[in-house]
Amino acid sequence: MNVMGIIFTNDATVGELTNKRTMASIPFGGRYRHVDFALSNLCYAGVRHVGIISRHNYQSLMNHIGDGEEWGLELEEGGLEFLTPFAQSAKHTYRGKLESLSTAMDFLTYGDEDELVVMIDSAVLSNIDLTKVLAAHKESGKDITVVTKAGICNGEKLIDLAIKLDDQGEVTDMLVDYAAAQDYLASMDIFVLNKKWLVESTKEMIARDKFHMDRDLVMGGWQRGKVSVNVYQFDGVAMYNESVEEYFDNSLSLIKRDVRENLFHGSHPVYTKVRDRVPTYYGEECDIENCLVADGCMLEGEAEDSVLFRQVTIAKGAEVEKCVIMNDSMIGEGAQLKYVILDKNVTVTPGAKLIGTKKNPIIVKRGETV
Amino acid sequence: MYFQKKRVIAMLLAGGQGSRLKVLTEKTAKPAVPFGGKYRIIDFPLSNCVNSGIDTVGILTQYQPLELNEYIGNGQPWGLNKTHSCAQVLPPYERHDKKSGWYKGTANAIYQNLDFVDRFNPDYVVILSGDHIYKMDYAAMVAYHEQHNASCTIAVRNVPIEEASRFGILNTNPDNSIYEFEEKPAKPKSTNASMGIYCFNWSVLREALITDEEDSSSSNDFGKNIIPMLLNAGHKMMAYPFDGYWKDVGTIDSLWEANMELLGKDPAFQLRGDKNSTIYARNSALPSSYIDEDAKIVNAFVAEGSEVYGTVKHSVISIGCTIGKDALVEDSVVMPGVVIESGAIVRHAILGENSKVCKNAVVGGAFSAKDKKKISVTSKNAVVEANTVLKPGDML
Repeated sequence: MNVMGIIFTNDATVGELTNKRTMASIPFGGRYRHVDFALSNLCYAGVRHVGIISRHNYQSLMNHIGDGEEWGLELEEGGLEFLTPFAQSAKHTYRGKLESLSTAMDFLTYGDEDELVVMIDSAVLSNIDLTKVLAAHKESGKDITVVTKAGICNGEKLIDLAIKLDDQGEVTDMLVDYAAAQDYLASMDIFVLNKKWLVESTKEMIARDKFHMDRDLVMGGWQRGKVSVNVYQFDGVAMYNESVEEYFDNSLSLIKRDVRENLFHGSHPVYTKVRDRVPTYYGEECDIENCLVADGCMLEGEAEDSVLFRQVTIAKGAEVEKCVIMNDSMIGEGAQLKYVILDKNVTVTPGAKLIGTKKNPIIVKRGETV
Repeated sequence: MYFQKKRVIAMLLAGGQGSRLKVLTEKTAKPAVPFGGKYRIIDFPLSNCVNSGIDTVGILTQYQPLELNEYIGNGQPWGLNKTHSCAQVLPPYERHDKKSGWYKGTANAIYQNLDFVDRFNPDYVVILSGDHIYKMDYAAMVAYHEQHNASCTIAVRNVPIEEASRFGILNTNPDNSIYEFEEKPAKPKSTNASMGIYCFNWSVLREALITDEEDSSSSNDFGKNIIPMLLNAGHKMMAYPFDGYWKDVGTIDSLWEANMELLGKDPAFQLRGDKNSTIYARNSALPSSYIDEDAKIVNAFVAEGSEVYGTVKHSVISIGCTIGKDALVEDSVVMPGVVIESGAIVRHAILGENSKVCKNAVVGGAFSAKDKKKISVTSKNAVVEANTVLKPGDML
């Protein structure tokens, strides 16, 4: 089965973390970027032709992904393509996924061999075996398969696409951009579609000035009885990192063994760009408890319930609690940090004190000194 | 096929068994033995090549090559897979004139691969071995060689006079030119020990290898045959003094020591490096390590993908290891994939890849004053059963 992958880098924002990068390139889990999970899912399913649709701020993403070597995508045929906005649509970039697809028609229609398309976003992280989703889609005979997760809808969180099923598993209701109630399933923004059908539907939608994937194609199509929808329920860990609070909670939940096991080893390894860092050194007086620690760190101080990325330095007497500390950040002697997210390359001067709250962690921007 | 002419290429001798590493090299060639948490011994000479601007490396393999070949692969981790660069594995092979077969000695290994070297028509060939831990700029050595207009330059380090009889000793004139070579002399005249790192003019070495091959009494060895032959023939040979860290990790004791020398705030050997002294390794896609709330880690390295629930002191824990609750690991080298179950005690030990120390087992112990180093060793995949003891100095 030839399958093409399309990754949307998503333009939702996560506070200051998306100031100079896309959602897809937000660092996560000590050594990854959001997009690594989507890429690794596609890689494991044998997808060798992947397009990455990106609107803005894609420099750090391109730098991270390079030629896609780590995910087996450095190929002569197929491989990886960056589908950035065309200059001709200078008035606006893309208004929705369908519009961005319509400008990427050349990519989409290149070669006839691809039969199915997996569309995947980069705000929802999972370690999912897509071969099962692809098989379920073929077996269903429906137009679209939506991958969903139960237990996400809670009546408060805004859900891109919420779906309600009856006892037979048939769709009875759909809601878009709505704080759906608990008995709805949340879309994980992963779709499987037949390529030919997607191409035709996209053209038709655009002709009617409809460009929103969830609202116009999936929900609108289903309501008009034009589109049949199959729902695949994923039972592993799905992390919705759509706000700073969610990002922070999800990061710290990685210290739970079952969460970590499922996200990092669930169906397959998660691949990322290789950095040749030495193993982490734990000093004479360090005290590290309940932490996820990447390579290359120099730890002389204390850390508890935190995620430490690569090449982090914690000096003697510093105390770090419930924090996410990104690459190359240095925490000076005697500094005290609680509920803090340090972006890359931050310097915390000796004795500094930063205390945030669980709901509102302090974010220190990349490269700053505090 | 087009081959770019190279000024310098390197030939890395990686075929030795390393029998003094005993159970650790039963199924692995010495250069593929894990070191420093995430590396293998061969990463050091290979990374040195890359950091010295040498982009063409022939790797001569013979003993137990499966793991080593797999590890080197296409040379991608060291950036040696580009258009005009390579990490070419060169195993022994069969040839029509029967002048082939197993590599008879270090010189014969290069002799059998004259064709490989000739393709690049190099000015200089650097000969390296895959059993030392060090960082060295070979480009500086080649520049020194060129500057002195030598036929051969040998890297040397100063060793204590009482240890000198364990090494090949180079006796030099005040200008560092070599007038005599003595292999393991009983009464050493100098303390310049050969490091087994040579730089040759390819034209000189090529001829010497052919001459040496014709001598059926030769043991086809660089130290025993090629160097004395060139000295006798009056070639200009220089000693290149090197005073950085360098360690032959050919024995259990020295392998253990070299790992221990990575530790501390100001270690004897600094693994960390800048862009020009990074040691590259093949990476496994492992997540970050998890350090439990009951874990205690003091003066130790822990590499990626490990889970630590117990106590680790003055040790190197490699990638993908598990240290169970209430377990104690002290003064030990724990190789990749090792599992130490709860309550186990490991001291002064080297635990081979994927070996397992089950619940409440005891491996090794304190060094007694009498016999200082008694290091316990487990081989690859070995299992120390629950509640059993592997005594100090024992191997499993």
